[in-house]
Amino acid sequence: MTLQAEHPIPRHVLLVDDSAGDVRLTREAFRDANSTVVIHFANDGVDAMAFLRREAPHAAAPRPDLILLDLNLPRMDGREVLARVKADEDLKTIPTIILTTSDAQADIIRSYELQANGYVSKPAGLDEFEELIRSVDDFWLSKAKLPSRRADL
Amino acid sequence: MRDPMTAPQTDPRPPTDQPRNSLGGGGGEHHERARRSGPEWFARELETAKASEARYRGLLEAAPDAMIVVDRAGDIVLVNAQSEIRFGYRRHELLGKAVTDIIPAGFAERLIADAERTTEAALAQQMGTGIELVGRRKDGSEFPIEIMLSPLDSEEGVLVTAAIRDISVRKAAEAELLEKVEALHVSNVELEQFAYAASHDLQEPLRMISSYTQLLARRYEGRLDSDADEFIAFAVDGASRMQRLIGDLLAYSRVGTQGRELRPTSSDVAVRQALVNLRGAIEESDAVVTSADMPDVMADEMQLVQLFQNLIGNGIKYRRGDAPRVAVSAARRGDRWTIDVTDNGLGIDSQYFDRIFGMFQRLHGREEFAGTGIGLAIAKKIVERHGGTFTVESKVDHGSTFRFSLPAVARALT
Repeated sequence: MTLQAEHPIPRHVLLVDDSAGDVRLTREAFRDANSTVVIHFANDGVDAMAFLRREAPHAAAPRPDLILLDLNLPRMDGREVLARVKADEDLKTIPTIILTTSDAQADIIRSYELQANGYVSKPAGLDEFEELIRSVDDFWLSKAKLPSRRADL
Repeated sequence: MRDPMTAPQTDPRPPTDQPRNSLGGGGGEHHERARRSGPEWFARELETAKASEARYRGLLEAAPDAMIVVDRAGDIVLVNAQSEIRFGYRRHELLGKAVTDIIPAGFAERLIADAERTTEAALAQQMGTGIELVGRRKDGSEFPIEIMLSPLDSEEGVLVTAAIRDISVRKAAEAELLEKVEALHVSNVELEQFAYAASHDLQEPLRMISSYTQLLARRYEGRLDSDADEFIAFAVDGASRMQRLIGDLLAYSRVGTQGRELRPTSSDVAVRQALVNLRGAIEESDAVVTSADMPDVMADEMQLVQLFQNLIGNGIKYRRGDAPRVAVSAARRGDRWTIDVTDNGLGIDSQYFDRIFGMFQRLHGREEFAGTGIGLAIAKKIVERHGGTFTVESKVDHGSTFRFSLPAVARALT
């Protein structure tokens, strides 16, 4: 009941990643961290933009509370998704966290220039990965105040 | 020549009547005087002069280099057989020709410069330090030459002797060597980039293997049979070991590919930072690490920290029972600093000195000491990138001293 009180509405996370293994791992980690989080996923940038703009086949998609975005994606890469989200009047208030294997300075700098709300690299170990997802959930989906979702309320 | 002091003095004629012998020396004149008359003497003198000229001519012709004598006007007055062979002219074609016809550039300037030098200075010039010019053959083709000039006093004034060596073979060899050095450099860079890309890209699939075997172990341990538990444990261990190896390989290749420019850096600050990074190991082992009078050096700061961290970390890790002690000190040697990192640990048998700097070389079992064996390889690579040398002195059960050198900061910058 206390969980319900803290999260009256389920939190929606859009995970954009082309690795099925990573998607499943992230789902597992969120399941352990916070069972009320609903994970949606897109396996490339084009699919992600369709989800965010509620275009087919995502006409009924909810507006996510958080976007977890990989950088290297087929068709449209994460940098471009980030640029488009942050250039969109409606979408730019959605916190967008880069979740990638790259720890190259160039990628980090470019992401923050494009107004990423955070940048974390996927740790090598399972324990560390679960810990990372717990802290993302704890900060962005529990502690941080997010703009209310006008369209869905 | 006979000793003039013991020669009989029988000639009654005054010395002014003596014929002048330009090649003759100062001694033995009284003794010779008796024979310097009559047709026999002239014939003999002529023979001697001819023999002498033939000897010098033979010497000139036998020279391995083309020899050319040029007058002050720059015209060729004497050549040897090698000159004909090298430049493709007959002798009579070369004589009287302007030297600039066969050595188009550079010779005239040298001629002027060299004619003004003293004979001693000219003689001091060795063939190996001669100047390199281009020779032109009769057919117009050109070839690289090395030329050495020396002045020659003669009755016609100062002539210039040129010894000319065809250095085509040497130049070709030099060019080939340069090419090979360049190819080696390219190959090294490619190898480094390959190591980096390979280790970086291998991390991804490996992370999947590692994560999912760990997930398997966590969820299914004790729910399958004991064989399954054992197999999963081996898979988990192998994957995590490979992750460490690949991570270390990446760190090693980063020394070369991601290094930063060397700049004035405080080695004192670097040591302190290394100690902060080693805090856990230091507290756990009650290690005492000391350093004194650490200088500023030319270094990549991050790499300098890693260097100290690896060496001090080793001193703490390979300790003998009681509290480990590590001392860091520096001494100036010319334009470099020599830095010693001395520990009182296990020490290393001298037969392993070469091996310990190799990649993934370990002297202990995995159960005894953790680690992949990359630490000293990285340390050595960092020192080499700084143009330094890296040595070890050690005695088993007494400890080790790792000594390396780093460039000092130029005075103007301090």
